[in-house]
Amino acid sequence: MQIDPYYVIVTAAMLASIYGLLAIGISIIWSSLGLINMAHGLTFALAGYGAWAVAQYLSSDGPVVLVAGIIAGALVGMLIGVLAFLPLYDKPNYVLRSLIATLAISLLGEQFMLAAFGPRSRPLPPVFGHASFHFGTAVVSAGQLGAIVTSWLVLLLIAFWAKHSRRGLEIRAMMRNPEGAALVGIGLRSTAMAVMAVTGGLAGLAAVLLSQTYFVSPFSGLTPLLKGMIVALAGGLGSIPGAIIAAILVGLIEAFTAVSIGGQFVLITQFLFIIIVLLIRPRGIAGIIETVRE
Amino acid sequence: MKEVLRVQGLSAGYGPLTVLHRVNLTVYPGERVGLIGLNGHGKSTLLRAIAGLTDWQSGSIQLKGREIGGTRSQSAGRNTHRIVRMGLALMPQGDALFYGLTVADHLNSGAFTRSTWRERSARRERILEIFPPLRKLLAAPVGKLSGGERRMVSLGRGLMTDASLYLIDEPSLGLAPSISKSLIAVLSEIDLKDGAMIIAEQNLSMLEGKVSRLLGIHAGVLKGGADALNAATLNGFAGAVR
Repeated sequence: MQIDPYYVIVTAAMLASIYGLLAIGISIIWSSLGLINMAHGLTFALAGYGAWAVAQYLSSDGPVVLVAGIIAGALVGMLIGVLAFLPLYDKPNYVLRSLIATLAISLLGEQFMLAAFGPRSRPLPPVFGHASFHFGTAVVSAGQLGAIVTSWLVLLLIAFWAKHSRRGLEIRAMMRNPEGAALVGIGLRSTAMAVMAVTGGLAGLAAVLLSQTYFVSPFSGLTPLLKGMIVALAGGLGSIPGAIIAAILVGLIEAFTAVSIGGQFVLITQFLFIIIVLLIRPRGIAGIIETVRE
Repeated sequence: MKEVLRVQGLSAGYGPLTVLHRVNLTVYPGERVGLIGLNGHGKSTLLRAIAGLTDWQSGSIQLKGREIGGTRSQSAGRNTHRIVRMGLALMPQGDALFYGLTVADHLNSGAFTRSTWRERSARRERILEIFPPLRKLLAAPVGKLSGGERRMVSLGRGLMTDASLYLIDEPSLGLAPSISKSLIAVLSEIDLKDGAMIIAEQNLSMLEGKVSRLLGIHAGVLKGGADALNAATLNGFAGAVR
């Protein structure tokens, strides 16, 4: 059995980038809003359709499609916030009720996409062109390379924004102490909407980037949601470094499994991975890398 | 002279427990009011009710003539950020810090209007002059600070944006007397301009000479003036010295 290490690395890097975008979104939504967002896959899929619609009717320019996906994702994220977070966050049993609400939104959304767009999957125009490169013995398409570079660039930008802007500070403060945040004029509801918009935008970006390899369909949100959840949990909910490390590990595991024992075992090995991580460190990888936050 | 704070018939509590019983209170511009009371008698509840943080409350609270009270039985803290933006600063018991963020982050978070955010470096500098020990600690995560330093961060954060009413809940809590005394001295020297301040403490001796008016609170009922001091000694308020 010949395993091409270059191919594994390229595939793993691509998957890690996409999963990272989704997992960081899920992780931040949980730690800042206490919301387990089962509709994050819907954000992914619907943003993909938004990008497709813009490509169909407005312009199929790479940057335009990319931005359209991000904006569509942000809008869907905010809609989910309006439907599942705002009415429920200060009521009893919020966590369970919001989980059910996002699940319901996800199921309804899937049917809506099925009805509106039909079951056939749609391709998105190539955002990064048609070039291809060589990395060792592997061939890397412009789409794959673009996906990897764009993901990390965007994540760096967001990290910078989170650290230096007022909104970023408000979100970081609200994550740690909602009452303290209110005492410095930070409104929970408007900050929550900002969180849903940013994480939705990340999901939308992931959708456009992944669509370079896979097409957009009504059910294209399920697997990304699952993978995103696995990575977020393995990384430790609320930890961005943990999510990044977990994304890299999960990407490697998936690529390796796919080339060695076959793609049908990918979910099995990924679930095994997260089970083992959580058995050893219930707080996820974050429990290993972070000292206890005082 | 318009009152800074006018509380009328305020009752408030947590769940089935009523802590405040139809409290009336008026605070005028320039006043520094000391609120003395033992634990459990309503000091914190009064300050928190003004900020809208109790489980339920009823009665009128007017901040600079604008109504911020009213009757509600759920959604504690829902409007707190709006009340804060109307000119209230609450430095709560326990500091309400953002563990994981640095001292500089905390001070910056206190600059919550557009103009104060733009001039946050200058305002931070002012706070550092008031609390010099924080200067070396700007990049330190607050979890690594001592109790006194954390208290300074909480107070400094509340002072970053000018408020009409400052509510300070037990600045001496958990601190050595010498540190508490210096903190309260600092608070007593802050220029209130048209605003006012209420400092809640258990220990009467902490506030003597530092405030312009003393109130006592006992079992959720306010007592003012000479009554407050008499009540303090008669009921054996902690540290009452007379």
